Amino acid sequence: MKLSELKVGDRGEVTSVAAEPAVRRRLMDMGLIRGTEFKVLRFAPLGDPIEIGYKGLLLTMRLKEAENIMVEKLPVEDTQESAGGVFSRMRRFGRS
Amino acid sequence: MGDPKEIRVALTGNPNAGKSSLFNVLTGSHQRVGNFPGVTIEKHEGYLDHKDFRITVVDLPGTYSLTPYSPEEIVTRRYIIDERPDVVVNVIDGTNLERNLLLTAQLMEMEVELLVALNMIDEVEEKGISIDFDQLEKLLGCHIVPTSARRQTGLDELLDHIVQISEGRIEISKNKMTFSPVVENAVDKIAGLLSHERELDSSNHRWMAVKLLENDREVYRLARQYPVWVKVELALQEAITECERLHRTDPEALITEDRYAFVRGAMQECVKQPKASRATVSDYIDMVVLNRVLGLPVFFVVVWAIFQLTFTLGAPMMAGIEFVFSLFSRSIEPLLPNAMLKSIILDGIIAGVGSVVVYLPNIVLLFIGLSFLEASGYMARAAFVIDKVMHRFGLHGKSFIPMVTGFGCSIPAIMATRTLKSRSDRLATIMTIPFMSCGAKLPVYVLLASAFFPPAMAANVMFGIYLLGIVVGLWTAWMLKSTVLKSDSEPFVMELPPYRWPTLASVVFQARMKALMYLKKAGTLILLAVMAIWAASNFPHNRELDAVLSREKASIEASASPQAGKSEEVRKLTTRMQAAQLEYSLAGRSGKLIEPLIRPIGFDWRIGISLVTGVVSKEVVVSTLGTIFSIGRSDGSAGLSSILRNDPGFSRATALSLMVFVLLYIPCLASLGVMKKEVGSWKPVLFFTGYVLAIAWSASFITYRLALMML
Repeated sequence: MKLSELKVGDRGEVTSVAAEPAVRRRLMDMGLIRGTEFKVLRFAPLGDPIEIGYKGLLLTMRLKEAENIMVEKLPVEDTQESAGGVFSRMRRFGRS
Repeated sequence: MGDPKEIRVALTGNPNAGKSSLFNVLTGSHQRVGNFPGVTIEKHEGYLDHKDFRITVVDLPGTYSLTPYSPEEIVTRRYIIDERPDVVVNVIDGTNLERNLLLTAQLMEMEVELLVALNMIDEVEEKGISIDFDQLEKLLGCHIVPTSARRQTGLDELLDHIVQISEGRIEISKNKMTFSPVVENAVDKIAGLLSHERELDSSNHRWMAVKLLENDREVYRLARQYPVWVKVELALQEAITECERLHRTDPEALITEDRYAFVRGAMQECVKQPKASRATVSDYIDMVVLNRVLGLPVFFVVVWAIFQLTFTLGAPMMAGIEFVFSLFSRSIEPLLPNAMLKSIILDGIIAGVGSVVVYLPNIVLLFIGLSFLEASGYMARAAFVIDKVMHRFGLHGKSFIPMVTGFGCSIPAIMATRTLKSRSDRLATIMTIPFMSCGAKLPVYVLLASAFFPPAMAANVMFGIYLLGIVVGLWTAWMLKSTVLKSDSEPFVMELPPYRWPTLASVVFQARMKALMYLKKAGTLILLAVMAIWAASNFPHNRELDAVLSREKASIEASASPQAGKSEEVRKLTTRMQAAQLEYSLAGRSGKLIEPLIRPIGFDWRIGISLVTGVVSKEVVVSTLGTIFSIGRSDGSAGLSSILRNDPGFSRATALSLMVFVLLYIPCLASLGVMKKEVGSWKPVLFFTGYVLAIAWSASFITYRLALMML
């Protein structure tokens, strides 16, 4: 599925990046390559762009760009997630 | 002792790695700012003396990578390849090693004399990250010096290393990063082919081969010129097929993945991060600042605060500067012998310099605010919050703050577009700014709206004018971005850096640089232009008028009326004479000359003159109207608004049309000067001038005709 289709709190793994050359390269240089695991942190208040987090990095991109990133949705990693809300989510974000 | 030996050092690194702070603490005040050839990217150069050496440092633009896609990266690459600095210092953010080392890996490939400054070592220690420096040095094949630009630690050691490397006194086995076998095979093959080409003798064949596999258009262009290209192209094709077959991807992606694999390997071996780190302060701040509900209000409060800081705090300072200049004028006035000289020095030179200097408080205050936002990390978040709106008009989230600043004054606003990296985004934003009604246009609106409309209506009229400016500005941006500036929009792929408390020194430093740049680069241009307009409104000089003036003055003095009445008479007389002189001058004649052009939008030659002089600054429209409309009037005591109201050449329709015209036509000379400075050439500025004149005329025409029909 596309990165742009994920929801806040979803975790995913990049399977391919297929944007136009400049954008694609920028995304890859920011560490979005095959196998990168990330978490969707939030959307901007107006719903676009999207912010994802991985390895201590916070990256934002427009949904238009996120449409070019194919991902595999990962299962929620522990049971705390459902009940824990934002705080447990943040704690785990640092660890990922 | 002879001259100190010179060592040339280039600083490279990711944005937000603290590269510029390091540059500032190293070189202090020995800096100059220029541009890299052919692009409007600032080149900061400085020097320092260390022991027997003079070390010149060039601060290259911050980049994540060395692709040919952004001008910053091209500039960095070209500088390293063409200028061959003695030492390349790669400044990396120790708290974010993985991403930072990606650039290091690419610099390793370039086989330069590399030295890594592992910056923010204080934060690294605070976070409990431990780094095995010896092992990391071995893997990277270069020395690493821990530094902290903020605490100013590790600087001497860094400089010692620079000296030792340039002297060749450091022996370190260069480590090569190896790619996947498919890539390595192709690299060997292509590098071998390239090495047969005699003209490419001195180049780095391996690096070129890697770049060709990465589809690098710059290296492509270079390599294609040689006969060996035929074979190289075949090898490239082969590599692409092999990559697809074995790894299901293309060489470019595979090479990036290999670099990451290398970096991750190095990280695993050398870096220990504390497990399960808690949510950082940054995360907590973001929960509020980027919150779905609070995000926009916070954003608007910040923008409002910046605006208030710049203009509310700036206003008394501006008034102070104006006061000092007028005091100065008045105090030297008696020393000047004749009227001509007085006019040249007081109205020409001093007023001209004053009109340049008066913007300084705004510029300094705005940049204190902006560099605080930038260094603290909020700027990127502001862009994130508002991007959707701006993007609708083809602009970037970062365009918003400069645009809003335009409501105060276009000059600092245009300078603030530097935060935009892509040239087309920047041009589009710059051309939007003058449509945001600046503070100098306000007196014109106030005069006309209050003269021709009852108070309740006047406010609506002014609101409408502001709104029209925004609409035209955004429309302009949208139109530009969907036609001439369609290409090379910056992709919105932006890192949100962790919040950091900016150091006072760096904030002050930024503001000082901007102020100096404004004075040096734009100031001269503005001064010249202001003086040209002064000359146009004073020459040719009508000597007969002088004679009439002195004769009538004498007759007033000789009359029997009381002293107070006499000086009032003289004042009126002088105003009349000034008006007559203005009419006689070049500006006056051009006002008459353009009358046929402005007749259809409801203006006569007198308004024409004030539009000509108003090019200096929009407030001047008011004072010129004041002078020129007093011609042939005896009731000089009446206020300007009642004069205009009672003038047969001025109607409500004219007033509306004039407001629209002043809103849209040529922004002041000062902002055109800054615009020229920021875009680097006259062509876009001239285009813009033509465009605004056309827009202003059309909009005024429509306004005038509609108003005539409806009012």
